[in-house]
Amino acid sequence: MVKYEIRKVFARKGGVIALLIMLVLTAYTCWFATNSSSEWVNENGDTERGYHAMVKKREAQRAWSGILDEEKIRRVIEENLRITSTPEYNSKDVRLSNIAFGWGQGIHEIRGLLNHYFAEDFQTSDYYRANSLTPDMAGDFYPNRVKLLKEFLADETNGSYYRFSDAEKDWMIRQYEALETPFYVDYMQGWDNVLTYYPTISMILIMVLGYLMAGIFSNEFQWKSDSIFFASTYGRNSAIRAKLAAGFLIVTAIYWAAILVYSLTVLGYLGFYGASCPLQASNRWKSFYNLTNAQAYLIVILGGYVGCVFIAFLTMLVSAWSRSTVLGVMTPIIVIFLPNFIQNMSFDAVIIDKILALLPARLLELNMELVYFDLFDFGGIVTGALPVVIALYVILSAALPPVIYREYRRKEIM
Amino acid sequence: MELKITDLTKQFKEVAAVDGVSCTMTGGVYGLLGVNGAGKTTLMRMLCTLNTPTSGQITWDGQDIFSMAEAYRRILGYLPQEFGYYPDFTVEDYLLYIASIKGLRPVVAKRRTAELIRQVGLSKASGRKMKKLSGGMKRRAGIAQAMLNDPQILILDEPTAGLDPTERIRFRNLISELSEERIVLLSTHIVSDVEYIAKEILLMKDGRFVCRGTADEMIASMPEKVWSLTVPKKDVEAYLRRYKVSNVKAVPNGAELRILSAEPPAAARSDAGRGPAPAEIQSWQAMAGSVNRPVVAENGSVTTGAAVIRPQTAQLQETTLEDVFLYHFGERSGDGNGEV
Repeated sequence: MVKYEIRKVFARKGGVIALLIMLVLTAYTCWFATNSSSEWVNENGDTERGYHAMVKKREAQRAWSGILDEEKIRRVIEENLRITSTPEYNSKDVRLSNIAFGWGQGIHEIRGLLNHYFAEDFQTSDYYRANSLTPDMAGDFYPNRVKLLKEFLADETNGSYYRFSDAEKDWMIRQYEALETPFYVDYMQGWDNVLTYYPTISMILIMVLGYLMAGIFSNEFQWKSDSIFFASTYGRNSAIRAKLAAGFLIVTAIYWAAILVYSLTVLGYLGFYGASCPLQASNRWKSFYNLTNAQAYLIVILGGYVGCVFIAFLTMLVSAWSRSTVLGVMTPIIVIFLPNFIQNMSFDAVIIDKILALLPARLLELNMELVYFDLFDFGGIVTGALPVVIALYVILSAALPPVIYREYRRKEIM
Repeated sequence: MELKITDLTKQFKEVAAVDGVSCTMTGGVYGLLGVNGAGKTTLMRMLCTLNTPTSGQITWDGQDIFSMAEAYRRILGYLPQEFGYYPDFTVEDYLLYIASIKGLRPVVAKRRTAELIRQVGLSKASGRKMKKLSGGMKRRAGIAQAMLNDPQILILDEPTAGLDPTERIRFRNLISELSEERIVLLSTHIVSDVEYIAKEILLMKDGRFVCRGTADEMIASMPEKVWSLTVPKKDVEAYLRRYKVSNVKAVPNGAELRILSAEPPAAARSDAGRGPAPAEIQSWQAMAGSVNRPVVAENGSVTTGAAVIRPQTAQLQETTLEDVFLYHFGERSGDGNGEV
């Protein structure tokens, strides 16, 4: 039965076309995710592009890989000062300026961390902050991140002072202090990009999956095959379970196939280096989730899978209930755009943020949640939104199939 | 093997689609005759557990079919009026899928599918997509799916609708073959579909059984007689208003009418308004093949034209099941929309 239900989905031209569109868009996203970080400024100040350019950049940055201790930070500050004090760096000539930029490509990512960790305050980003650092400040690198957070949370002039409870503030500070330092740094463009472009893939996936799922139940009515279906021996039990199983298998197979292709393409091209580096060793430095890149990516794709399964089941429920494939197809679109609608509502911002953090659309962009300060306080037990939203939708995804089953099995033919 | 319907009613808001019907079916073909909207499909859907009754009960060998659920559907085969299918499945895939939801094991399903494809004459089309089949072939695929589980109850809702005469005859013969050792309930509004093969015919009108029995019993039970009468063309309309007319056949300068009436039909004049006045009624005899015979003018006398129809008495005809059908469902054209 399950085999035939799957065949029903892909026997339609629309199903095959949807898969082809997904393949094309996935390929385009992969190309974009790899190509956007494949630039290298050579010794003449010219920009090279492509795989060889990426390899040169990767080698230059890997030369600085290792534990980012005080000594390494001092060396980076010194190297940065050396570069910024050259006539080329200070020249108005673009070519000379580019040549100087090229010298700093190896320390570019660590220099970016210096900008963040030594920022004037938690909310400010200054690209040139690293240029004003002196080697003796290297020891303040790690403590400074915690200090910035504490100042931010204690500042009565910004909204965060009132947004978070004392328990939440304490929890965040503890999370910041719990970050294992000094941490390991490496070239991690692969992990950075695979996380950054994940929402594009997840959006493509859920649209295609929504389309495929939308007809599983409602097409019986549209094809007028419902009478024979429901009058069959298993029409009101096993055959419905077969539809649910087919939907689940299709979502699982397509999701993981697409994620596998996407991940292997991007990481295979840019490199798996930096898997064990913490999130905080990148522009996700504010994150209070003490995870490595690989752990974070695993959570993001698992969360995305939960989101896709939930939205797919929701789509099936709508199409089973309404007998309409069109309404089913619209379901993922509504789910994705619902946050935009809620954002524009004139409610308390804290409540809005908490609602947004719990919407299924958030599961499709958990890479963002890694850096959002969404917290939940369950009677004094504080936690970030990430585990809450994943756990919530694991439960809801498990609860939906019985609801769909009951809804569909009691259908009468009119 | 007893399918029993007891005081069954299905109410859709204000309308009772099926209104307190009762009957008992054992083996053989049962013909459910009725015009569109008589409640046949609703009754059949309830028999297939697709609709639940508002009141009343359907039992199979004494057990409520809705309580039996899966066990009942295991012995059921159903071909709905609007036969839906999976357009992109081949005939073979379609039947194998239906076999799977009917609970046939894969080996049995393959064997039954091959047998039925052969039996319904679709061997050459077994690999063709369902959407590419002709109407008749789709119906045959439909009967094949209904037979997959070798059902004890076979319910066929207007299976011959849209079929050409050859296909209809073929279908009728197929149903007759299939009716051994099972109950076949066949709904139709085409009398000839059930006239020769039905063990019992149920005439359904406005949600009720208005007449039931064998074809002979039903014919015998009709209180009116059937008359044949040829009249001038211009008077046909007047006859249609006055009598139930089961057939109008054009003949030169007139029309031969098949009229249902307890008494021999009287003449009706076309110039007598909505219906002929008693004083103006005259009797006519059918003058089939009356070319070159005189025709009757408006005043009843012989008039112009190559043919003439003289006033005589109508001829008594043998009653058919179609006449019975008309008796129960037909209306005089003056009674309203007059669907006959």
